[in-house]
Amino acid sequence: MSFKYLYIVIITMTIIISGLNINQDKDHNSYSLITNFKERTAGDNITLEFAFQGSSDVFLYCSNSYGSIMLRPKLGKTLLFEIPKSISKKSGILNWQLHSDANLMSGQLYIRPKSKIETLETYIGPPSIEAGGTDYTMLVIVPTDNLDNPLADSTKVIIKHQFLETHKRDIIYTEHGFGYKNLYAYKENGRMLISSECLGLNSKEYDVNVMPAIPTNFKILADRIHSYADGNQITTFKTSIIKDRFDNTVSDGTFVSFYITNKTGHKSVTSGTTIDGIATAKMIHPDQEEQWTVKAYIEGIANSEPITLNYEQAVLDLNISFSENNRLITVGPLQSFMKQQVPNGLNIHLKIYKDDALVHQLIEQSVDGFGHFKLYADRYPKGTYTVEIKTAGLTKSFADIKL
Amino acid sequence: MKNTSNKYLIVALLIGLAFHGTSIFFTLETTYDALIHLFFADHYAHSWFEPWNYKWYTGFTVMSYPPLVHQSIAALSLIGGLKFGMFTVAFIGIILFITGVYRFSLLITSNRTVAGYASILAVFSSSFVETLHIFGQLPSIIGISVLMHALPEIYLWLKTGKWRYLITSLSLIAVTVTSHHVTPIFGMVFFIFPLIGMVIMDHSKEQVHALKDVTFRLFFTSFLALFRRIVGFGSLSLVIIIGCILPYWINSKNNPITQVPIPHGSRDNFFEITSSGLVFFLIPWGILLILLPYIFYRYYSKRYLFFGLSITILFILGTGGTTPIPRLVLGETAFNILTLDRFTLWASIMSLPLFGEFSYRFVEGDLKLLIQDRFGAVYHRLAGGLLAGLFLFMTIFTMSLGYFKPSQPQKIKMLPIINFLNQDQHDQWRYMTLGFGDQMAWLSAQTNAMSVDGNYHSARRLPELTTRPIERLENSKFKGVEGIGSLQQFLTTPEKYNLKYIFSNDKFYDPILYFCGWQRLRQLENGIMVWEKLNVPPLSSILPKEDVGTWQKLLWGIIPFLTVLVAFFLNLQMLFVHGLKTKLKPLPIYFSFKNKYSKFSKNILRITHIWSIILVLIIVFGLYQFYIKNESHHSPENAILAYYDALDFKEFEKAHRLINPKSDLSISQYMLEVSVTDGLLSSYAKLDAIDTEILSQTDSLASVKVNTFWITPLEKINKTYYRSLVKVEDKWYLQPEAVNVDLPPDQLYSDNNTNYFNQGRRRITTEQTHHEDVLKQPVLEILTAKLVKFNNSYAIIGEVQNIDNVPADVVLKGTLYNDDNKALATYSAKYHIKHKLMPKEVSSFRINFEGIAWSKIKDSIPKTFNPDEFTPIELEEQPTKFNLQAAGNVSGSDLFKNTSVSISGINEDHITGSLFNSGTDEVTIPQLLISYFDADKNLVWVDHLFIKEGIRQQRKQIFQYDMLDNSSLKIINKDMDNCFVNGLPNKNISDKIVADRIVNHNSEELQSINHPKYKFVKLEVNTYIGNPN
Repeated sequence: MSFKYLYIVIITMTIIISGLNINQDKDHNSYSLITNFKERTAGDNITLEFAFQGSSDVFLYCSNSYGSIMLRPKLGKTLLFEIPKSISKKSGILNWQLHSDANLMSGQLYIRPKSKIETLETYIGPPSIEAGGTDYTMLVIVPTDNLDNPLADSTKVIIKHQFLETHKRDIIYTEHGFGYKNLYAYKENGRMLISSECLGLNSKEYDVNVMPAIPTNFKILADRIHSYADGNQITTFKTSIIKDRFDNTVSDGTFVSFYITNKTGHKSVTSGTTIDGIATAKMIHPDQEEQWTVKAYIEGIANSEPITLNYEQAVLDLNISFSENNRLITVGPLQSFMKQQVPNGLNIHLKIYKDDALVHQLIEQSVDGFGHFKLYADRYPKGTYTVEIKTAGLTKSFADIKL
Repeated sequence: MKNTSNKYLIVALLIGLAFHGTSIFFTLETTYDALIHLFFADHYAHSWFEPWNYKWYTGFTVMSYPPLVHQSIAALSLIGGLKFGMFTVAFIGIILFITGVYRFSLLITSNRTVAGYASILAVFSSSFVETLHIFGQLPSIIGISVLMHALPEIYLWLKTGKWRYLITSLSLIAVTVTSHHVTPIFGMVFFIFPLIGMVIMDHSKEQVHALKDVTFRLFFTSFLALFRRIVGFGSLSLVIIIGCILPYWINSKNNPITQVPIPHGSRDNFFEITSSGLVFFLIPWGILLILLPYIFYRYYSKRYLFFGLSITILFILGTGGTTPIPRLVLGETAFNILTLDRFTLWASIMSLPLFGEFSYRFVEGDLKLLIQDRFGAVYHRLAGGLLAGLFLFMTIFTMSLGYFKPSQPQKIKMLPIINFLNQDQHDQWRYMTLGFGDQMAWLSAQTNAMSVDGNYHSARRLPELTTRPIERLENSKFKGVEGIGSLQQFLTTPEKYNLKYIFSNDKFYDPILYFCGWQRLRQLENGIMVWEKLNVPPLSSILPKEDVGTWQKLLWGIIPFLTVLVAFFLNLQMLFVHGLKTKLKPLPIYFSFKNKYSKFSKNILRITHIWSIILVLIIVFGLYQFYIKNESHHSPENAILAYYDALDFKEFEKAHRLINPKSDLSISQYMLEVSVTDGLLSSYAKLDAIDTEILSQTDSLASVKVNTFWITPLEKINKTYYRSLVKVEDKWYLQPEAVNVDLPPDQLYSDNNTNYFNQGRRRITTEQTHHEDVLKQPVLEILTAKLVKFNNSYAIIGEVQNIDNVPADVVLKGTLYNDDNKALATYSAKYHIKHKLMPKEVSSFRINFEGIAWSKIKDSIPKTFNPDEFTPIELEEQPTKFNLQAAGNVSGSDLFKNTSVSISGINEDHITGSLFNSGTDEVTIPQLLISYFDADKNLVWVDHLFIKEGIRQQRKQIFQYDMLDNSSLKIINKDMDNCFVNGLPNKNISDKIVADRIVNHNSEELQSINHPKYKFVKLEVNTYIGNPN
């Protein structure tokens, strides 16, 4: 069996070789490379020399990482190709092919980068990472020679960084022209300063911010001028200092929502953003007796325990008088918890019914402790009406008011 | 015959140049069109042979307008700049017009004195003043002027058959068509056809020696005799008209104007819209209105019969939508494309020879004798004074119109904008201007940056623009729903157009910019606010264009100037002979058809008198009607209308005069009360319509229900007021409204905030930004996202959270797919999101898929205005999947979060409550985002509400939200696999940063509601701060 394969190989080789011979016999052209180096340093003058017989009408196609070019030879006894600087100064593999009508021969040579460093190309990202030891930033260093070629592989690069009290040096070696290092975050937040060094050349300073991780649960408290429901003063809610699980204070601006539920189950929401870990939110007092349950959230991440706040009724009594043939309704004096006038702007609702049907609804605001409703004759023609007045959670109704 | 210069013509030229030449520097730049022509000129100055212009409409071809005038300005600009070129061309236009009127009048009247009179009157003719100083239509003026120069040549060719006249007339027609395409086409119909008629008439007359002996038969034989010349001229001029601007016709054929007609004042009913009547009828006709009987009488005399027909048609067509005739005559399409004011302009120009004739006869001819004979010399002088006074009044009135009623915003200093665009590679994005008026063209001419907008609507290409009857996005607020709707599409998806910067000269647009996710960058030193949008990619360096053949480019670049040169050389001899009187030249042949001004018709004098009286009566009646309608104290309705009108125009003093004087409300108190109210309604609304309904009225009291309809940039607002009125001293007044007297608790208070500043590039360099200066994109997380079908429209709803440590600007882009993964539609979140999120803040969102509204041109366009109009996209197939791309960018602006919301009452239909502002900025426009949940607390829909009033510091604002009805809602897809944040899969991000997320964390804080379909809601507040501290 194995002989069979041998025969096939031999016959095939014979055919190929004889074919080539026939070709060469036809053309009488032959070329051979005289230059015998396989490596050069970037920036050197590179010439390729070919001995030839027959036609000199050939060109050299060169291609490397920078681009491709076609060269015509300088004719003498040999064919001399000068590789232009734009190609010869780029390190890496330079492929060449000698062409006439057909591809005659090809080869490659390696251009070494220079061994002297000129610059350190450095990239770092992302510029901010999360504390905790899992998030990292990546530093990439490309030491280059003065022709902008990356230095030879396995060049030693020292990576230095400082974080709080820590100073560290790491040694890495370049591979494929560059070296890289993943710098992991520490448990504390802060700023990491990073630089690198290669062959005595130091890079500029880079910095990466290590930001706090996500917040953990916290407490809230309320702060108020008094505990009366006067509809005017403001209650301030505050959180404790919100920290992440590594005890770092969360970054400024962290958004905290405070949900307030009142006695009747109606919701209110106010919000604040943290400064030094403390978020502050404000809410105006209710205008009637109320119990608030307040709970704060950093949605999906952390929350507080609920707290309860009680507001006492401030306006205790509702005085209403009718004048000008019942066409002027005066509400008041509205007195707050020390019998002082309620601050201006307490809403007073008036509902007017005729034959049990709501005719009109008016809202007035108190001024100097009083609210006035004027029932114009053109709007409310003569007749009997029912009047309902509501303010500060108090309601009074008057049936059979004759206008 | 002595050969002297015509004194009148020289006087006309001197006065004309002095009068228009000086005033033009104050008027031309504020006209509607002049700056557009300047922009085109700038194009030719930079690329004479390349017709493609990238600066407007994402690219358009200048082959859409005849180039001669623009190229002339461009050529002259090489000497002294663009404006020098424009003014020089305007000067040439003035000279051409005056001499043109002279030659045309000479042709018509065959009397040098009369023609001289006409040329002087032409200088001051109100239609010319309007066209030049208010409309700035330079090509139109030059076109008609050159056409008038051509008319005598055409006459001579037809009459004498001398070839040189054919050549000169054709050369002038060529100049006309290269400066303005419409002029020669309609000029053929309205000027040249009547002229042919006149030639035939003259030819006939020569055979019978008296005009009245001309019979139709004779006329017809004359016509046959001249037939070859007429047809020869006609067909050759057709060749000229088509050939000289062939690329224009090719372009019109390839890109037919398939766009929704843009409303134009000249198509209005002049009785209904009196301002259009003034501008497009009264001003151009001016004093000629009084002379109408004379003009018609003369033009209907046998020789001019065809001019009579022509001017009648022009007159009627010029009345626009006042009578149904123009629409019937022109047909619906032509009626909606043509601007009809040009017909009035041509009619008034056609009248000028007869105006000159009338003046001549009035001043020194038979009319003077007749009047003096019948009414005495004093009457003649008085009448003369009156007519001259009226004539000058019209001229001055027209001239000053632009001063008293400026058609343009105040002149904007462009330099800061140009510097801004040149800085920091800002011209790598497109920009847009808002509220610049036609000055946007001047800005475009000066900068290399490109705009998505433009100012030549026939060249628009984007379907978002061509399907709307708006000329420019720039002034879209004047164009109602179509305008704002079109603008919204550009503001919501600016990435599509690489639109990053907006220069706003009008506060009106601020809210829409904010709620579409734009942010203020800074105010330039000329007061223009720059808005920017984050996450917009820069323009690619190679932009698409529609190329045309080189022969077209060459033709377009060479022929127009060539026509001028040819016309100049051909008419050179004539110019010298006429101008310098170098040799005695026989009078043109039309001089043998002189009129005898010996006996002015008494009847015409009588009719003119009667007509004048009728005109006076009409004017008096009009003024009376105007008074009754506008006397504000006349009735409760008038008082209400006047009051809200005054409020609309911020004329608070006038509004205060309508408040009951016995109410002790001083003007200062009133102004104070008005000035402290801010909000969508009081700062950004324009009153669109108002109707009043008297609820009850006695002799001295009235209650009125006032339904007001306001246009705001965000939505249409209907607001009903109940106002009481009293009658004091026989005049109706409004009772003052109660003002908010709420007393905030703190006089002075402090608030701490975290502020952010992004350095941009830290090094001052023109290089690309260093990589270490580029901020990381804030990490967002899409908490939920689902595709829902609500009624018949599709939307993506959900919640997004900023899980980073820095504030983020959020851009959400959704794409719908069908089962075969075919992309059906893409749109971005508009109003239903808080575009700026603090660290860990959550926002509900909804992405509506809007179609290009009325994308089919035939779709009926709603007559009423509704900026909030929503056109659901028409999807050919059923969307079943979606892709959601969230992009965060660090933003330090618009981070005001100090507004709280409280619910105080809920029933089946609505939620009432209040908003409280605890911050130190006044909230201009609060917006509520309302999320609906089902019984299992799953998010099912997101709605929003703009609150009409602003919230001052430490004050409350009540709101009422009408809940959704029971319309059908279906969740189609909840699969979040195709959600991406900053290009990375959402799931990976959420697993990494918030691995132990508490799902449905605040579900117990949802407000339960009593609704058959939805069981819970959540309210969020988003606020627009108009004037940040």
